[in-house]
Amino acid sequence: MVLDLPSSRAEAWRWADLGGLAAAAALAPVARADHSALFLDLPGARLLFVDGVLDAGQSDLGAVEIADLAGSEHELGRRTGGRGWRLSLPRDAAADPVQVVHVAGGGDNHLPAEIVLADDAVGQVVETYAGAGWSNRLTRIRLGRSARLQRSVRLLQEAGFASLREEAEVGAGASLVSVFLGAGTAGTRIDGQVTVGEGGYAEFGGALLTAGEQRQECAVRVRHAEPNGQSHQLWRAVATDTSAASLAAAVEVARHAQKTDGEQSLRGLLLKRTATVNLKPELEIFADDVKCAHGATVGELDARALFYMASRGIPRARAEALMTRAFVADALDRIGSEPVREAFAADADAWLARAL
Amino acid sequence: MLKIENLHAEIDGKEILKGLSLSVNAGEVHAIMGPNGAGKSTLGYVLGGRPGYEVTQGSVTFDGQDLLELEPHERAAAGLFLGFQYPVEIPGVSNVQFLREALNAQRAGRDEKPLSGAEFLKVARAQADGLGLSQDMLKRPVNVGFSGGEKKRNEMVQMGIVDPKLAILDETDSGLDIDALRVVGDGINRIMRQSTKAVLLITHYQRLLDYVRPDFVHVLSDGRITRTGGPELAHELEREGYAGAIA
Repeated sequence: MVLDLPSSRAEAWRWADLGGLAAAAALAPVARADHSALFLDLPGARLLFVDGVLDAGQSDLGAVEIADLAGSEHELGRRTGGRGWRLSLPRDAAADPVQVVHVAGGGDNHLPAEIVLADDAVGQVVETYAGAGWSNRLTRIRLGRSARLQRSVRLLQEAGFASLREEAEVGAGASLVSVFLGAGTAGTRIDGQVTVGEGGYAEFGGALLTAGEQRQECAVRVRHAEPNGQSHQLWRAVATDTSAASLAAAVEVARHAQKTDGEQSLRGLLLKRTATVNLKPELEIFADDVKCAHGATVGELDARALFYMASRGIPRARAEALMTRAFVADALDRIGSEPVREAFAADADAWLARAL
Repeated sequence: MLKIENLHAEIDGKEILKGLSLSVNAGEVHAIMGPNGAGKSTLGYVLGGRPGYEVTQGSVTFDGQDLLELEPHERAAAGLFLGFQYPVEIPGVSNVQFLREALNAQRAGRDEKPLSGAEFLKVARAQADGLGLSQDMLKRPVNVGFSGGEKKRNEMVQMGIVDPKLAILDETDSGLDIDALRVVGDGINRIMRQSTKAVLLITHYQRLLDYVRPDFVHVLSDGRITRTGGPELAHELEREGYAGAIA
């Protein structure tokens, strides 16, 4: 298979693990027995995609429909055109959560999705990625006036690569909260483009936990096109061994998008000095009456705190786990639904137990 | 209980302890006093096992065990408690979680079964009440936003919960007002003044010794113990200063 991928000379792709993508696509098929454990105990629709194809027997579509969807212009998003899933909620609707589980069994698979919430509709989508291979996704999100969407995505693939392209338009007064957790052992890349309308609210953040030789990265651009919008990009990256976690987060404020309140908090934690965390906050502000706070720091666990905990009887590995967990908690706390938040925290704990 | 013989220790190649010897028996309270830079805090850290403090000579036995062979968390499980001069803030980890982890890790080290959340809370509340630390502070992240006095009281709450055999308290009196000093002093007496336990109080000043009466007072100067006496030695030091006492 010939992959026509962008070059890492392009700024948005400078840390991209493009070799990892090609390698993932060539992975041999793997068997995976039980997918049911990947669904959380939540009411509502359940969709199981195996290698990008709906397993109708193990799915309960609810309000979701399967439809032909177009790809996008994005380098990875354009590969996804074809059959995909769509959640379309009418005005004022409040739907049960929609769970989507993607299991890859080797090779590459591509799938588009669309989430369209009409004015004042409220939705929740939880997605889980597992298995091995290259899973490539495009998710288009359109939120009408005052609609609210909570989206939580956990990337738990064992091998291969998961690439997510997110294209979101947040309407006037609408709210989008997207939280991502990378806690598997595969490579990942999240490409986000969020446009915030008048008085809209957008969160785009999460935690990337990398170990071994793993590479995980996110490149996101939040664009404030209209006045009075708010956005928060709160990311935590934890890297150990020779792995690398990279975050490039941009905020763009258009000339007339006055009173925009944008916040970026990018923090990296190196559990070993052989690991890498790349952070690149970026601000492009054309309006003159805005508030855009940004912070980017990379550090190690506080040696004084580790000794303090040891002096109280806590072994070093456990002390490191407690402090690392506290470090990523800010990002996962943004998940509003308690069972989802707890499941994500458990995945982070499992990662810590493996990595430390 | 604790036997230190000819202890030499250095930090970054600089020798701080230069042949310190000291014996502490069960039921005793020892005060170590001395001028700044004498090596008082270093002694506490070496006994606690802080990384970066290298023992170059000498031995330390604790209850018959070679203390220096043990990892810091194993020393805690063996019954050693180090009270910090500057207790460390740990954002994002609650006091309750920290203390329960600590107690259960120590219990595991002694092959005892862990306490449940409810059992632990009962112990923690009793200790916090005894030291005037509010329930709210137990739930807050460890030492974050605590005043100097609250941090020291929190140290004593921790000591009460883990119930050590030997407490080494490094300037537990610094940063305390008169009332807090009394509360902390009462806490030390209540938790540690027992025939099976011992205390090593590292302090600059005599005032804590009004509340926790030592059996022995030692002067630590230039990495060694240069004088030993009873409680009256602390008064003499307070009156005449270290320079006079050492000379």
